Amino acid sequence: MNLVLALTVVSLGSVLLRTVPLLGARALPDAVAETAGWAGVAVLAALAARAVAHHQDPALVLAPLVAAAAVGLGLVVVARSNSILLGVAVCVAGYLAVVAVSGLVG
Amino acid sequence: MADALSLSPLATAPLGSRAGVRAMLPVVSAYVPFALVVGSAVAVSEHPAVAWAATFTIYGGAAQVTVLDLVARGSGWMAAGLVALLVNARIGAYAAAMAPAWRTAPVGQRLVAAIMLTDVVWGMARARGDNRAFYLGAGTTLLVCWPSLVALGALLHGLTGDVAVVALLPALTLGAIVVPQLAQPPTRAAAVAGACVALLTPGLDTGASLALAALIGVVAAYRARRADMPRTETSS
Repeated sequence: MNLVLALTVVSLGSVLLRTVPLLGARALPDAVAETAGWAGVAVLAALAARAVAHHQDPALVLAPLVAAAAVGLGLVVVARSNSILLGVAVCVAGYLAVVAVSGLVG
Repeated sequence: MADALSLSPLATAPLGSRAGVRAMLPVVSAYVPFALVVGSAVAVSEHPAVAWAATFTIYGGAAQVTVLDLVARGSGWMAAGLVALLVNARIGAYAAAMAPAWRTAPVGQRLVAAIMLTDVVWGMARARGDNRAFYLGAGTTLLVCWPSLVALGALLHGLTGDVAVVALLPALTLGAIVVPQLAQPPTRAAAVAGACVALLTPGLDTGASLALAALIGVVAAYRARRADMPRTETSS
């Protein structure tokens, strides 16, 4: 019962957060929308940075640093090639290469 | 018709719903590992069917995992629900940011857009001048794929391996969505500030950290726009 009630709270809240601004879009000032856009971009960047900072891998001592390097490399590839799949492939390959090298050294 | 879409130079590119579907498919593949993680959390919950059904209404993996985890640890339903809702609070900012582009859309279409709103769909459409057809194509693709992948994760619970690098793929995808938007100084300032807040507050829980990132990001964006104004006026 506890779980059902908790899920109901998140579900109802999430639906309201989604629908209210869009259904009331005609009454929402442009300045508010612009500010919300900046907040949204800040949150997206924070989500990405947080995932990297919290990265854990028992095979690596400095896992967040390796993660930052791999994601950074992937982002450069995405920006140049405009292909997320290629960026993912480079990120994974770079990361696994570091894991393999650290395994050989360690 | 001079609607908000015509304000962006990107909106003149041929971006229809098919382009949205095509753009979303590789992103979905990058989200498969995260969906499997959410599916595993659904499988071990006390009501897997209810927990999976909430995938459609919560429609945010981080918030869904948070509420399932908190309840499993014995948290009260109200506290667990509110903490998870704080994690999902960013969706309100996305919805508000979409308002100018969707003002002229029929109510039904705005409702559909709201139902399929989440990080990647918003970010991808924003990078393309808030193109509505693109948004609907990308959003429909994710709305079909995400709950299916979470269901797959619940069914395969315990069978999927634990490869650390796959946990980075959602971060890479979100970063890839932000990068094309960095040309504008206020947006760049907001993104840098948001990332810095996340890196400087590792101890904060996700919801509080994201709320702080949004706040500092907005302040940084306003300052960057104010600093950029004299330069823009001089050049014009």
